[in-house]
Amino acid sequence: MQMPLDVQYILELLPILLKYLSVTMEMAILGFCFAIILAVILAIVRVFKLPVLHNFAGLFISFFRGTPLLVQLFLLYYGLPQVMPIFAGVDAFSAAIIGLSLHFSAYMAESIRAAIMGVNKSQMEACLSIGMTRLQAMRRIILPQAARVATPSLMNYFIDMIKSTSLAFTLGVAEIMAKAQMEASSSFKYFESFLAVALIYWAVIEIFSRLQHYLEIRMNRAY
Amino acid sequence: MIKVQNLSKKFADNMVLNGIDFEVAHGEIVVIIGPSGTGKSTLLRCLNYLEIPTSGVIEIADVKVDSATATAAQITNLRKKSSFVFQNYSLFANKTALQNVAESLITVWKEPKLVALKQAETILQQVGLGEKIHQYPSQLSGGQQQRVGIARAMAAKGEVILFDEPTSSLDPEWVDEVLAVMKQLAVQKQTMIIVTHEMQFAREVANRVIFMEGGNIVEQGTPKQIFEKPQHQRTKEFVGRSVKQNLSALDSAML
Repeated sequence: MQMPLDVQYILELLPILLKYLSVTMEMAILGFCFAIILAVILAIVRVFKLPVLHNFAGLFISFFRGTPLLVQLFLLYYGLPQVMPIFAGVDAFSAAIIGLSLHFSAYMAESIRAAIMGVNKSQMEACLSIGMTRLQAMRRIILPQAARVATPSLMNYFIDMIKSTSLAFTLGVAEIMAKAQMEASSSFKYFESFLAVALIYWAVIEIFSRLQHYLEIRMNRAY
Repeated sequence: MIKVQNLSKKFADNMVLNGIDFEVAHGEIVVIIGPSGTGKSTLLRCLNYLEIPTSGVIEIADVKVDSATATAAQITNLRKKSSFVFQNYSLFANKTALQNVAESLITVWKEPKLVALKQAETILQQVGLGEKIHQYPSQLSGGQQQRVGIARAMAAKGEVILFDEPTSSLDPEWVDEVLAVMKQLAVQKQTMIIVTHEMQFAREVANRVIFMEGGNIVEQGTPKQIFEKPQHQRTKEFVGRSVKQNLSALDSAML
């Protein structure tokens, strides 16, 4: 039996798709950076139970974990400009990054919070005993220790985020998924096109998984 | 130099400290003894505001804090006046011995990093750890960790070092090296308040011994007064038992 698979087509398509990989990675990396900053802030607000902010952070996390990413992206890009015209100028690429960072920050905040809570209470007491403020203690002692605990799960979210950038094609961002979709509908070779894009995601994520593994070994060696 | 007035601490319905009053002079070495659960550690932790007193006034050098009106800035200022040696060391796990000792100098006292590290190294040499400065806490023995803990407290520029049972979680073989460092500090007239069960050490080093029970100071005096002529019945029983334990330890050592 002959396999109805056009290998030649896939080999030709791969370099074309790879040109759009930079857009995918830009979204993932920028989104992850924003998400981490936001997640650390949310986690600290939650750990210290800062008045008002604490409730707001709780609501934020609940909403962004409780609704699908696709719905959030549509709300942000198609919905929000209708009620707040100021958002009309936001392009699809930026909207995707904003949506991804908000969504993932909610998850990441929870794992950072757990990591902070996991640092022995006596570490904070030791900081206070030599005259440090709570903020200094967080920055110098608690967060670095929490980072070590949180790294594996944050890396998992980063990997998840790379894959989730594929949803940005629904906003019209020209990333690899969008390009694969375009190629497929003009050549009618759906299987080959989507297989090609799947192979690229798989390869990229395999690289980052190796990196994650290496990073964990290094961090465990530190102390 | 240290003045504590009417210090009380209540955990839920449990009154742990019942309006304690006492003073400590500059250079004085005060040892607090007493049965477990009588508020010795809580008293020490209140002095450093690791425990917020229910009521009372604490004054160390020029900083006076009334728990009824204490602000965060006042509390930080008070904490800078004392440093703490913990029973289970509580060294910063992500920092080397040198970084542990230099931390207060860099973060609290804003000294240039190189100056701070140099000072920290000198202090670690004083506690006999000049060879171990780049080790992480997990790479050190219990006795070495506690000596780093004392070095960290020495570096913090406080007026007084508070010791909360510094040898209680050590293997017996490490106890002496830690006590030796503390004796060295005593010779240098470092003001210290020490909660301990090491009665022999208290006799040798203390200027004053305080016997606490049930959240109160029952009796205080020179080591001679407390250990040889205790006035109060409870002190007699407690000290008597400790002496007997020491004697039986001596007996078994001789057998």
